[in-house]
Amino acid sequence: MLWLLFGAHLVGIAAAVLAGRRSMQAGLCAAALAPAATAIWAATRLVEGGDVVSAELVWVDGLDVAISFRADAVALLMTLLVSGVGALVMGYACGYFSSDAKGGSRFGATMLGFSASMLGLVWADSIWTLFIFWEMTSVTSFLLVGHKHTDAAVRLAARRALVITATGGLVLLAGLILLAQNTGSPNLTKLAPISGTEAAVAAALVLIGAATKSAQVPFHVWLPGAMAAPTPVSAYLHSAAMVKAGILLIAVVGPAFGDVAAWKWLGICFGFASVIWGGVGALRHRDAKLILAWGTVSQLGLMFTLFSAGAPKAIFAGVALLFSHALFKAALFLVVGEVDVRTGTRDITQLGGLARSMPLAFVVALLAGASMVGLPPLLGFTAKEAAIEAVLKLSGGTQAVVGVAIIGGSVLTVAYTIRLLYGIFGPGPATSVAPQGYVRRRSWLMAAPAVTLSLAGVVGYAVIGGVNEIVVPAATELNAKAGVYELIAWPGVKTAFVISVLIVITGAVVGVLWIARGSNRIPLSLGADATDGIVDGVISKSPRLIAWIQHGSLPVYLAVMGTVAVLAAAALASDFAGGHLIWWDHPLQAMLAAAVVIAALAAAFVGSRLGAALALGSVGFGVTGLFLVHGAPDLALTQLLVETVVVVGFVLGLGHLARRFPPVTGSWRSVRIMVAAAGGLAVTAALVAAGTNPTGQPPTPDLVAEAVAEGGGKNVVNVILTDLRALDTLGEVVVLATVAIGILALARVRTRPQAQTQES
Amino acid sequence: MKPNQAPAIQLGIRVASPLAIVVGVYLLFAGHNFPGGGFAAGLVFGAVAILRTIAGLQRPRGTTALIACGVLMVTVVSFLPILWGDPLLDQRVVTFDLPLLGTIKTGTALVFDIGVSIIVVGLVAAIINGLSASQPTQGAGQPTQGAPQ
Repeated sequence: MLWLLFGAHLVGIAAAVLAGRRSMQAGLCAAALAPAATAIWAATRLVEGGDVVSAELVWVDGLDVAISFRADAVALLMTLLVSGVGALVMGYACGYFSSDAKGGSRFGATMLGFSASMLGLVWADSIWTLFIFWEMTSVTSFLLVGHKHTDAAVRLAARRALVITATGGLVLLAGLILLAQNTGSPNLTKLAPISGTEAAVAAALVLIGAATKSAQVPFHVWLPGAMAAPTPVSAYLHSAAMVKAGILLIAVVGPAFGDVAAWKWLGICFGFASVIWGGVGALRHRDAKLILAWGTVSQLGLMFTLFSAGAPKAIFAGVALLFSHALFKAALFLVVGEVDVRTGTRDITQLGGLARSMPLAFVVALLAGASMVGLPPLLGFTAKEAAIEAVLKLSGGTQAVVGVAIIGGSVLTVAYTIRLLYGIFGPGPATSVAPQGYVRRRSWLMAAPAVTLSLAGVVGYAVIGGVNEIVVPAATELNAKAGVYELIAWPGVKTAFVISVLIVITGAVVGVLWIARGSNRIPLSLGADATDGIVDGVISKSPRLIAWIQHGSLPVYLAVMGTVAVLAAAALASDFAGGHLIWWDHPLQAMLAAAVVIAALAAAFVGSRLGAALALGSVGFGVTGLFLVHGAPDLALTQLLVETVVVVGFVLGLGHLARRFPPVTGSWRSVRIMVAAAGGLAVTAALVAAGTNPTGQPPTPDLVAEAVAEGGGKNVVNVILTDLRALDTLGEVVVLATVAIGILALARVRTRPQAQTQES
Repeated sequence: MKPNQAPAIQLGIRVASPLAIVVGVYLLFAGHNFPGGGFAAGLVFGAVAILRTIAGLQRPRGTTALIACGVLMVTVVSFLPILWGDPLLDQRVVTFDLPLLGTIKTGTALVFDIGVSIIVVGLVAAIINGLSASQPTQGAGQPTQGAPQ
């Protein structure tokens, strides 16, 4: 079933490319089908229950390299979010883009490509599968953020997002490799707890990877910039899907790091800083989308803190928050996008009075905002109660830090939510940007998904038992002890509830005071500028470094390569064991060897280029003869042909060069002689060392038997090349093809400027 | 370099080319049981291409398509077994009877070998094009390529 759904996404990408040529809307509709089907499947699985579905495609058996999927309770919850929100957002995008929007194929296909990558990430059961899809989400998100690629600021934002998330991906890979080596299995469900220094390093690396993806301070700088994307992209990637990947990762691998103190504290540090700084950022910005983005940083920090704390109740609260956040944040993004296309601005100091002109959007925003703040009767309330309850269950320093994070973050959330809603819908100069009132008419395509998502918060509260059926198994999957908790619709007046009330009151006071203060200065984007500065600096400084490393002189390259080879062989130079050396098997070998030596000397001393080429060819033909005498006809044949082609190629190529070598004098001549002599000595020493240290029996009989039995051929060399060791051959021919393409490209570079001068 | 248009050389290479092609094809098919193989065959074909270029008879064309074709063959043959659930690069051996030729035994390794030889020819062709890209090509090839100084 997993393959079927995943395949449906791939088919859908092709369909979206074709349909997108007609119009943006057609492309998006084609793209929305597969996520819709997947969401329905996930919902039915969640309701009906049943065995965990898994699927595996083994690639390299002995190395545990496989694409393995497993849809357990956590994965199903995430699938519901990723595919459900994805399908809704794609429907919304049909209304968001005008009917003559360009790039429908690209947008629809990339959206679905992202959706498929995200599904792969969510279903991943092995570390390697997880990593591959992790990187694929980075790449597709880069394409989506940069959708309006004609705008330089958008390109910059997309590059920043890619640089940070892809670098984080590499850090994550290092951490995952350490983790897999220490637990002994790449399987995510079989991760055993690890400890020690390596575990601490792995913990730090994995956390940094997760923090870059989930926009945690100080790696959050890409997320506000990514708001340059079309709003459907932000609603999908930056609320429900991609930014949740880091959270999911630490939730899933968390049990393996349970004994590592660094894991817990570094994670809490990331989360704490993000909760507070994200909330402050949301208060300072004027662009409604940026407010939501900074709010996302804050909310993700909350989840990061809870999952890092690692206590069963904290994990349960984290899962509940993950679920409710995706619903209300996506709804808010959708409303802001609708406001944007219908009024022409997202600046809350210019907006106002929309409660009357856009009543439906107002109700949606109010419901979603109230859920974000944590008011009953909404799903967000129950999640926030669970988080506060979790804090009360903790003890010591953890309780203090996590408590400050959750209470402080919640106060800030209340404040910026009030400011956002007041700014857009409160009294003020109504939609002053668009002179005629509206830029675009209302579209049910934009309204319906937002209404669905915000109503989900109400319905979720009403049937809290149903939500528990989704959340509790997922929490149990992550931590066996988390299964005893559940979301409670109305807990009664208890400590957590009192704290909750105090948070809302304090937050409301802060929010009102902040609005009254009326500071509208846009904060500087120092972090983003620093990131761009580093990237630009590397790009502008690297040519000088490259000019120094890549000298461009072939003799210098050869000298460097020769020196390295000598150093590598020098280690073997003393490794002689007597008694195995003989002069020759057959007198013919001595004669051929003498011929090779004479030809080699001639190649070194002859002054004409053609002569040197022919002498070099003679060396090769002499070696061919040695192979033949030694009983290796296949090797001899190949050597003969290679030499032939090389000699004929020399004849072709030498026409470009002067007939004689340029004179080489002075110390450079001495260096060349020394490198050449040392190279010859080192290779001789290495060969003698290898020849005098036989290890065991030659593998020839085994290879012959295997070649006939498995490869079905009598030419052992060829069977090795095409069957037994075909992977090596595959790699080699790919290298050959790459070299050929490189030569073609170089030749093209050389012809182009001349062609241009000819034209001018 | 300037193509050598001496009639004797041109005639010799013109006569030798088909023979060399036959040798190359023989090496390709014989490779499984006797000395030869895709790499050797590709080198023979490549040598023919270079000689014909030197003699000014012909310049290799469609190099990119050649390389792409070779890589495609090799990759498809390598990865197809995965679809049937076999390991990567697993070989299938086929035996069938043909009139006149008798029983023929062949396998996917042959396709792999053909792909290898095509890539080798493509590499040699790329080298030929690369070496003569900046030179005028009199009497052969595309006259637009390169610019006389």
